[in-house]
Amino acid sequence: MNQTPNAERPILSVESSAGATTSNIKHRTSNIFWRILDFVLAGIFIYAGALKASDPVQFASDIDNYKILPWTVSVALAFYLPWLEIFCALGLVFRFLYRGALSILTAAIVVFTLATIAAKVRGLDITCGCFGHASQNWSFPSHLATNLAILAALLALLFKVASQNRLRNAV
Amino acid sequence: MKSSFVGQAVILAALALLPSAGEAIYFRDKISWRSAIAPSEMVTVEQARAWGENAIWVDARPDEEFARDHVPGALLLNEDRWNELVPQFLAVWSPGKKIVVYCSSLSCNASREVARRLRKEAQLPDVFVLEGGWEAWMKKNR
Repeated sequence: MNQTPNAERPILSVESSAGATTSNIKHRTSNIFWRILDFVLAGIFIYAGALKASDPVQFASDIDNYKILPWTVSVALAFYLPWLEIFCALGLVFRFLYRGALSILTAAIVVFTLATIAAKVRGLDITCGCFGHASQNWSFPSHLATNLAILAALLALLFKVASQNRLRNAV
Repeated sequence: MKSSFVGQAVILAALALLPSAGEAIYFRDKISWRSAIAPSEMVTVEQARAWGENAIWVDARPDEEFARDHVPGALLLNEDRWNELVPQFLAVWSPGKKIVVYCSSLSCNASREVARRLRKEAQLPDVFVLEGGWEAWMKKNR
């Protein structure tokens, strides 16, 4: 008579351990997905940053073409922005200052996108300079689509980090 | 939580200052902080005048301003009528001559653009931009 509960226990234990394993696999797969996204974004920003850092003169001229900032500021940004992109990208890879890196990259891509749209509205025929010479012949729609795709990925990572933080704080 | 995002962003922003400062020092001769022209591509009125007959003066200002007054012997070559004026300019140019392009003042862009196009599109060497443009030339010749 006393055997029934005891006999059920192993079954429950197997079920719960199977459930835990499935949940672990899902969790691990999800983690791998987010890490891949980190690496893809980091790769894009390291590539873009390295191209611009290798030719700051051209990048200063690309920024100046937007006709938003004075030349001196364009030069300062041409030296600074590529390294900021590279450092933030490394932050994504090594999970070093990860939240700050995500915030900066998201803000940067929003500013780039708005500047591109503003230039288009003002009728300026410019190269974005986002990927140095590689992006010289990009059309406006492809430029915009790339920026929006990157922005979507960054926002997804930001929301994930924010929700993880919220959970941690709740516990 | 918000402060951790901001705090980390500030640290990253500060870290990026170091290599960018190094790069700015490394490239100091290749880029000017005052105008979009490298110091090596700029020329002062005195330097350009010293070249004498060896220099071709190019006026990158609009037609009306050129008609009003210009550097003696200067050729008109502006972006408004680029295709029309470039052949006339090339007929006068000869190898070994230095080209001095000017526009209205220090802040104008026309001379820089014409100089860039002469270098890239016409593949001409020794193209310089006059520092201070027409204003500087007038000051030195009053």
